[in-house]
Parts: sequence; structure tokens; C-alpha cells
Amino acid sequence: MNRFDLLNKIQNILKDNLVICNIGLPSQELYKINDQPNFFYMLGSMGLSSSIGLGLSLSQNKNVVSIDGDGSVLMNMNTLATIGNRAPSNYTLLIIDNGSYGSTGDQRTFTDENTSLKDVAIGAGCKNVVECSGDETVNELSKAIDDQNNSYVIISKINSGNVKIDPIPLNPITIRDRFRKFMGIVKYL
Amino acid sequence: MKISKIIIDNLKKGGVDFYLSVPCKLLANMIDILENDKDVYYSAVPREEEGMGICAGAYLGNKFPCIMMQNTGIGNSVNAIVSLLQLYQMPVVFLISYRGTPGEPVGAQGGMAKITEDILQTLRIPMLHCSSENDLEKISTFSKHAKVVESPVAILCDFNLMKDDK
Repeated sequence: MNRFDLLNKIQNILKDNLVICNIGLPSQELYKINDQPNFFYMLGSMGLSSSIGLGLSLSQNKNVVSIDGDGSVLMNMNTLATIGNRAPSNYTLLIIDNGSYGSTGDQRTFTDENTSLKDVAIGAGCKNVVECSGDETVNELSKAIDDQNNSYVIISKINSGNVKIDPIPLNPITIRDRFRKFMGIVKYL
Repeated sequence: MKISKIIIDNLKKGGVDFYLSVPCKLLANMIDILENDKDVYYSAVPREEEGMGICAGAYLGNKFPCIMMQNTGIGNSVNAIVSLLQLYQMPVVFLISYRGTPGEPVGAQGGMAKITEDILQTLRIPMLHCSSENDLEKISTFSKHAKVVESPVAILCDFNLMKDDK
């Protein structure tokens, strides 16, 4: 299973939740599979999906899922400590760990060598850290979202590989405003 | 404590209700005030760039965020400022302890001090430079300005303004 297959499998679970999606192919694939106003596509700032989702979950009560990648988490590992100490129960971090920098040509990341993001997350103080296969991810993600009392970090171990895809045609303000309209904040759209 | 209290009061008057900090001894009193303030959210964060991401999320969730940091933190955050906060036009207040300005005892702080305003200018971030107590009353209007123009803004607090705020 690669990331495109996984995103296809979890799209129904994401439907009713606020989703922050990582820059590059993850966002482009999610957009192609099933574009929704409650999906915030990152067009820059690699590494910050986990942090943006954390800020969003601290600011309101709806469930938040940050879709992140192993390369991006490696770039911003300090935020796992913030999550480990501050994440509220409406927060789920889904790390799609394919051991490669998919958007830049599938170069290997350190999770394909010695680094375990599960161990890092646990060491950083994160609760409910789950490492699972792509097939198990649907169930684990559903459980995490349904649990109103706990935050989760799910590390979904899948294969690398991408599908051929175009950049997202939406401009950033459109992404921002329709997301905030879904939340009832923006009234003018 | 007096200066720190005026700064926080003015930020709150400007609508800021979500605060993060990467610590600085010049920010210590403000951090104390915020840790005991039940009306706003406050947390420490390990790194400024990450804080930019958390502030972006807080803005999406309808908060008005502020990140408190040394001027060195701007250097750690340039890409996040440009390709997240500015790209999506998100108002965030940067409350910056301006290390390396006159009065600073640590010579090594001078390097970032020399280029801090140049970086902010290059990024087209509106600046409010506070060097005396009289400047502080401008903070509330300046914070509201961030929301009006949908942009991050920077408040620079000189070393000498903050150093005796016991």
C-alpha cells in the first residue's frame, strides 16, 4: 500500500473532521481523491502540519487530524514534545511513514534506517502512540477520532511510491476562507 | 513588572488571546503574568518556527495569536512566516525582545540585532519599535492593525526598556 491507496481508504473518516494536510504530494493526492472544504492544504512551510493542527485543536472543540509525513516530522521533531505536553483530546497526528521523501523523488529518510518515530514520540511524552500497517490505519484512525478523552499519534507504515498528479489549483486565500467557512467563522462566501 | 504588565494589557486590549513563547530573560515577567492569566491561552514552545505553525492553526480556529521571542527567533522562522503566515494572510503578533541593542551585555547578540530590522523590512512586516514607556500605548492599535491588514506584525522591545522591569 502506498500513500495514495491509504488516503483513498481513510477519506471517509476524514469527511467530518478538520484536516491539516502536508505540503506536496499528500495534499495533491487528497485533493484529487476527494476535495473538501474542511481540508486545509499546505502550500508551503514543510514540517508544520503537526504544529498547525495542534494550534487549531487548542483553539476550538472540533476534531482535528494532522496528516504528516516521516520526512516532515523529522524536520520539526521538537513539536512532538509540545504535542506530548499540550495536545488536547480532539487532536490526532497521523504520520504516513513511507521511509522516503516522496515529493522530492523518493530519497530515503532516516525512518528507513535507524530512526523510530514511535520511540521518538513516546520519548517526547506523547500519549496513545500507535504504530500500525496501512490496512490497520482505518481502524486505528477511527478509534482515535471517536475517543473524546485522548489525543493520539498514529504512525502508519506503508510503502513509498507516488501517483502522477498536478499541483493544487486553489489559491491560498480560497483554501483558508472555505476552511473557516466550514467552521462557521467566515460568513461571506 | 510595570513595563511587562503594560505590554500584556495592551496586547489584550488589541484582542490578542493566544500566546506562545520561546523564553528570554527580558520576557520572563510577561511569561509569569500570562501563566497566571485565566482569560487567555499561554504555552511555551521549544522553537519559534514551530510556534509560527501553532499560531497559524490558532488563527484558523478563530484566535488572535501572539508569539513572544528574541529577535533571533525571526531568523529561525523566515520560511514559515513567508510560506505560511503571509501566503495565507494570517494575522499574528510577534512580540520581540530586541537583544543586542544598546545596554546588552552579551556581545554575540549584536550580530542578529544588526540585521533584525532589515530582515523584517525585506519580509514587508510592519514594525513597532518600542524604546520608551511612552511607545507602549501604541501596542493595542498596532495589534488590531495586524487583523485589518491580515498580516503578521512585529513589536520590537529594546533591551534598555526591558532590563530594569523588575
